[in-house]
Amino acid sequence: MKNNNKLRRSAITLLTATALGLSGTATMTALAADGKALKSGQEYMIVANYPNQLHVLDLATDSVYKTCDLPGRFGPGALQVAPDKKTAFVLNNGYEDIYGVDMDTCEVTFHANMSQARNERTKSIYAFALSYDGKELYTVQNPTLLERDHYRVQPTRLAVYDTSSGLNAKPVRMFPSPRTVTAMQVGKDGGLYMAGPDIYKMDVQTGKYDVAIPSRNWQRERYVQPDVLNVWAVQTPTQDFTILYTTARFQEGSEDLNTADWLYGYFNVNLETGATEARDFGPITEIYFTGTRSPKDPNIMYGVLNRLAKYDIEKQELIQAAELEHSYYCITVNQTGSKIYLAGTNNHVAVFDGDTLERLNTIDLPGGDMSTTTAQVFVR
Amino acid sequence: MKKYNLSKLAGGAVLAGLLLPVTSTQASPDAESIIRSKCLACHTEESAEPAQFSRMSHQRKTPEGWLMTIARMQLMHGLKVTDEERRTLVKYFADKQGLAPEETAGSRYAMERRLNTMESFESTNFTEMCARCHSGARVTLQRRPAAEWEHLVHFHMGQWPTLEYQALARDRDWMDLAFKEMVPELASNYSLKSDSWNQWQQMAKQPLSGSWSFSGQMPGKGDLRGVMTVSGGQGDQYKVKVDGEYADGSAFKGSGSAIVYTGYEWRANLTVDGVKMRQVFAASADGSELTGRMFESIHDEAGMDFTAIRSGSTPKLLSVQPEYIRAGSTEVLTLVGTGIGQKIDLGDGIKVVSELYRDDNKVVVQATALSSAETGQRKVKAGKANGATLNVFDQIGSVRVVPEFSVARVGGNGGSTPKYNGHFQAEAWMNGADGQPGTDDDMRIGFVPAKWHVEPFDAQAEADRDTHFAGQMDAKTGVFTTAAAGPNPERRMSTNNAGNLKVVAEVEENGQTLNGDGQLIVTVQRWNNPPLP
Repeated sequence: MKNNNKLRRSAITLLTATALGLSGTATMTALAADGKALKSGQEYMIVANYPNQLHVLDLATDSVYKTCDLPGRFGPGALQVAPDKKTAFVLNNGYEDIYGVDMDTCEVTFHANMSQARNERTKSIYAFALSYDGKELYTVQNPTLLERDHYRVQPTRLAVYDTSSGLNAKPVRMFPSPRTVTAMQVGKDGGLYMAGPDIYKMDVQTGKYDVAIPSRNWQRERYVQPDVLNVWAVQTPTQDFTILYTTARFQEGSEDLNTADWLYGYFNVNLETGATEARDFGPITEIYFTGTRSPKDPNIMYGVLNRLAKYDIEKQELIQAAELEHSYYCITVNQTGSKIYLAGTNNHVAVFDGDTLERLNTIDLPGGDMSTTTAQVFVR
Repeated sequence: MKKYNLSKLAGGAVLAGLLLPVTSTQASPDAESIIRSKCLACHTEESAEPAQFSRMSHQRKTPEGWLMTIARMQLMHGLKVTDEERRTLVKYFADKQGLAPEETAGSRYAMERRLNTMESFESTNFTEMCARCHSGARVTLQRRPAAEWEHLVHFHMGQWPTLEYQALARDRDWMDLAFKEMVPELASNYSLKSDSWNQWQQMAKQPLSGSWSFSGQMPGKGDLRGVMTVSGGQGDQYKVKVDGEYADGSAFKGSGSAIVYTGYEWRANLTVDGVKMRQVFAASADGSELTGRMFESIHDEAGMDFTAIRSGSTPKLLSVQPEYIRAGSTEVLTLVGTGIGQKIDLGDGIKVVSELYRDDNKVVVQATALSSAETGQRKVKAGKANGATLNVFDQIGSVRVVPEFSVARVGGNGGSTPKYNGHFQAEAWMNGADGQPGTDDDMRIGFVPAKWHVEPFDAQAEADRDTHFAGQMDAKTGVFTTAAAGPNPERRMSTNNAGNLKVVAEVEENGQTLNGDGQLIVTVQRWNNPPLP
């Protein structure tokens, strides 16, 4: 945290596009003309996959509603849905570009190349989010200057884009950011929650940030530093930004890891209210890449990687687990919580009953592996 | 170029196919003119006489290290050089800015492609910051000043921006630690300037042509000896012929070419009995000995320790084959070396019954170890030649599997990566005075034939039927051939043909079966497989 003050002090940079000759934005056009519009009130889910496309799934029928080709090259295909539920934003092109795709027309309406200079190579490691009103896009960028015979890693920065800037979007504000930020979400109050060494909350006007939930630096008696890696910023029906952690809790009066309790838990920010939480939900018996709570019952936590598991948070107990035919990375639920959708890896989405964990359906996707795409469920 | 940098980063996979050249070398002016014409688009000429260029003149590396660097320039930074020019550059840099022999000591396993080496470093920082992703040897085989180590950190973070996010990185301020602690640590432990290198540069380098007596021990095949004929030497290039035999009488014949870098780094490509093989040896400072590893080029897991001594050197025994004899038995023993004298002394309690064969490189004798011979190791002498030992034992007390823990990898099946098989040997040990196996006073006897099989290592491996899926053990040779790569629909969750296996060697001794076991993890392919792991 000692960097914090320094960063704050050196903050506040406003860069105009003209200063920094940007390259490579000329080829943005509508790549797929599947003009089938989404229907108001209908529930959808989006995922991206190889070779480089975005699929809109109809959750009433659990089928592919439409497919849009994406610009650039695939990877990672991380997704965020704009608050108007019309535009999908995708981090793509080798983590170097964010595109906005109009889901009705498949047209690319927004494009920001993360690099701010010709000799800069800049990646965002899943770190982007939209403002609550959808007018701004926030992204944490990792720039490296490619000098003639050497590289120079630059400080990470938060770049703010106006989502109406079109296909050659330049940052309207930039601030120093903590390093190693991944998933981000914005609260109703406008604050940007960033999952990094701790969960930070940044004022997107000033760049000032504080710790919203301590993670690496938590002070929980008898607990060791938790391990957190979350690259899936799932937008939940309950407006919860949920991040899993693993940790160990020593027995009273002991510092022996061999006798410690190994625990799974979650950090949560309620984006609506700003309420934060850090809570264990069960012993570690297997690894989950993502977890989400049931919109029906906030005491139920689901987790997925090699099995789909269901926990009673209060009792810190595994209630049930469903076997899977292969790993899935990303879990999300429909608005009512009746169905669970598993995505990531391979080219099909698995659908489970939220209560019974019975396999209900498999949605086959055209194309290949979903890699680390973020599945997002929304109602148009 | 910028756009495809990351995909080329799979570049490691491309590098995997690169072998050090052994066919060409050019005098340094040519290398410097290549540098001036091909490298100065990015690098700066800091001084013309002596020639000094930015970055490249401030590092020292092994031939493999220079090859990786130059190949990376080709793959990722648009360097356009011919294979011939690359060879010239590697030779130039390895000679001019290499490592002294003692600077490579302890790290040669990386050049020798001993990929099952379990590394261990005193520095936790070094282990977690460097050796977490690649071998520590890749680092310990480089020498740089602090500024160049700093460049290396920037390069790592720019090229692999997610490295900060990975386990054992995201728990700390990785970047701070890298710049503030690792750079000084590396600059202090692996500095550009060293007395060793200064001295090595002063030393006269010995030509390596001549006739060499060699000794080896190939898992699955057994003891090997023969003659390696080395001719030529212009530009440090040689023609090489090997003519030898295994203990079972089968031939070991082949030829190829070699190049010597840095005055002692011997690299040869040979075809032996139709199989392409590599030699990675270090020559001794006096040019009389070569030591290292000889292995198959494609399946570099198949290989052996190899020693050779040049004919005409100070008499020396490289080995006695086999390296043991049972008290109360009469055996045929082969002494391998050079200048092997007439008077053979196998040590107390062992008598030479007759000499069966003799040439310049080996002597075959029939020898009897008396029943009363004390067990233990004997120093063997043949006239002025010594240096080899013979183990006298009365009974095998226990059997150990070597390696005790190892990793093999699935491969093939249409993929880009060949199988990485397991090669095992059964090592016999004699109980010590306490009569108990597995205690400190046990004596190593040597490698003995065994009957091999694999078992599930644990309950999970049994439930997953790892022994069925992961590959096949050859009962006679101890070679485990891994299964095909790729998801297997017959397995739980369509997983790969990975497995956790117990490797069991059975050795018959006095009507009893002695078992030794080791652990073999069969896992997925090593996609990134450059010359230095």
